[in-house]
Amino acid sequence: MSRWRAIRLVAGREIIERGRSRGYVLSLVFTVVLMGVGFIVPSLLIGQASQTRVALIAETPPGLAQALDATAAAFDQVIVVSTVPDGAAADEALRAGSVDAALAVPADGSSAGQLLVLEDAPSALQAIVNQAVISVRAGPAASEAPTVIPLEPPKAEDETALIFANAGIILMFIGIFSYGSWVLTGVVEEKQSRVVEVVLSTVRPRDLLMGKVLGIGLLALAQLVVLVAVGLTLSQLLGRLTLPTTTPGAVVQLLIWFILGFAFYSTTMGFLGSLASRIEEASTASMPVTLTATTAYILSLVVVTGDPDGLLARVMTFLPPSAPMVVPLRTALGAIEPWEVILSMALMIATIYVLFVVGARVYSGAVLQTGGRIKLRDAWRASR
Amino acid sequence: MLEIDALSKRYGAVRALDGASFTARRGRLVGFLGPNGAGKTTTMRCIFGLATPDSGTTRWDGAAIDANTRLRFGYMPEQRGLYPRMRVAEQLSYFGQHHGLSRSGARRKSGEWLERFGLADRAKSKLEDLSHGNQQRVQLATALVHDPELLVLDEPFSGLDPIGIATMAEVLRERARAGVGVVFSSHQLDLVEEVCEDVVIISRGRVVAEGAIEELKSRSGRRHLDVEVAGSGGAWLDGTNHHTVLERDGDRVKLLVDETVDLDGLLRTARAAGEVRRFSYEPPKLSELFMEAVNAPQPQQPDGPVLEAIP
Repeated sequence: MSRWRAIRLVAGREIIERGRSRGYVLSLVFTVVLMGVGFIVPSLLIGQASQTRVALIAETPPGLAQALDATAAAFDQVIVVSTVPDGAAADEALRAGSVDAALAVPADGSSAGQLLVLEDAPSALQAIVNQAVISVRAGPAASEAPTVIPLEPPKAEDETALIFANAGIILMFIGIFSYGSWVLTGVVEEKQSRVVEVVLSTVRPRDLLMGKVLGIGLLALAQLVVLVAVGLTLSQLLGRLTLPTTTPGAVVQLLIWFILGFAFYSTTMGFLGSLASRIEEASTASMPVTLTATTAYILSLVVVTGDPDGLLARVMTFLPPSAPMVVPLRTALGAIEPWEVILSMALMIATIYVLFVVGARVYSGAVLQTGGRIKLRDAWRASR
Repeated sequence: MLEIDALSKRYGAVRALDGASFTARRGRLVGFLGPNGAGKTTTMRCIFGLATPDSGTTRWDGAAIDANTRLRFGYMPEQRGLYPRMRVAEQLSYFGQHHGLSRSGARRKSGEWLERFGLADRAKSKLEDLSHGNQQRVQLATALVHDPELLVLDEPFSGLDPIGIATMAEVLRERARAGVGVVFSSHQLDLVEEVCEDVVIISRGRVVAEGAIEELKSRSGRRHLDVEVAGSGGAWLDGTNHHTVLERDGDRVKLLVDETVDLDGLLRTARAAGEVRRFSYEPPKLSELFMEAVNAPQPQQPDGPVLEAIP
């Protein structure tokens, strides 16, 4: 039988047995709901509780203020309309935060005019303004909408990029850990229930470990894909975030790095788990990995986010334990060179390969031994 | 035919196998005997590639055993174990597929074996919800599901109730009749004597006796003589020799004699003393052969002591 068939059987068993477990289904539903709530509740609160202040600049077509009021009412929103004498005054009011937007439309309605905002215009406001302007102009060219002019556009982009990047590495960390620990406990459970001896009478230890990592990894990836898709869709539908231009690249990289990071951490956890004999010993056995990953995670959040071009960020880019978090973060912030990404990936893949060869040997040596914790060195020697 | 040829394996200072060799023919039930730590489990693990021997080879039907050969073997390790939360039928079918069956073939086969063991109604139960005895049956079915050419079972009878023992023995006999090689270890020597045709006795990593049970018995040269002479009080023995008295109980005496003993002479002497109510002459039991083989002096070990424990 081909080795690939054995790996696929092992992976298939993990997917079926764990995929239909209550734990997996619940965690998938729960995280999706949590994410939905996270997006919907704030926009509901903003939509209902706050009012938008719009300043009309100098002369505007008659009835525009009333049209804005009426349209806002139709949208279930409140708009407070004021007037300013000129563009400079509007600028000042926007920067001072005394108004949220300023609308300039020629009194004769010859053009749709401009909507000035500080950073970006919420889609609800845009819709109201568009409709109101169209209704007062009511001519052949009336379907035109006012041009949105942000005073400080780049800052908004940075902020959403940051939010996105942080959300990404939090998902990455949680995903790697919750599913990596499945690999860990799965290995120990097989050992504890002694089934491993039956399995290994036909499957090579390396293939068993690989199948396990693959199967559980696919479940983890499925959850990540669902979460990212739901997050992106909701953010677009609700107009909460304007996605930065780095988004598509960042999403692709997030997925790639999730796969690499998962392979790295879960393989390590799998073979360290084989050194334990009982489930209670598993967390002790995997302690070094947990500590390394947590350190990398905290450094990514605290240091790299603040200084994505700094020395530490650059160093961490090339260290396999931190690369899966640092590289997507720097990519989302637009602060990484393509060669850095490529080199980091190459290093990561090479490390995973070495880890697999070394890890599989330790696993082979340890997995049939029982009775207390096994020393790494003994496991290495036992397997020949 | 399974051939084990000069297997040696040490675990650190522990010499688990020390040049063990034996053969097991297809169609014969072979009992694999030996005290704890003699090397039985290590030998089985070597057959299945779970332990790599330091030297020596294992062959099946004349060819060295490799990963592909092992797909045609069935194994039941001493430490029983299956996936506790996996459903019984899916579990059997999973292991069947690992042995090369197609998905549908594995499903059909697992259904057949569950039917055979009376577990058809538990096919969808999780293993952990089954009784201990039924879990043992599933374990055996796991070793059988792919119709293996060789069955290797480590202590298959331990922990079974009399009904379980009867079922197990019946299945093993039936497999052997179908031309399968069956090797199993056991400490229940009376059971082995009843079930098996051949035995292999291993001690301290070496095979110390091997062959058909009947042949080993007749080859042993020792016989048991059980004589009861009414009213004699065993006094008739006093003038005889060439025997060892094992037990004396009133008119009944149990003797250990050599197979060359003059039976006629003894019988005549006994008759002269009174009415002979019992005169039975039998080969030794397997348990005696076992003790004899295991306790025989071993050749000097050149490097280091042999310890009992096997990881």
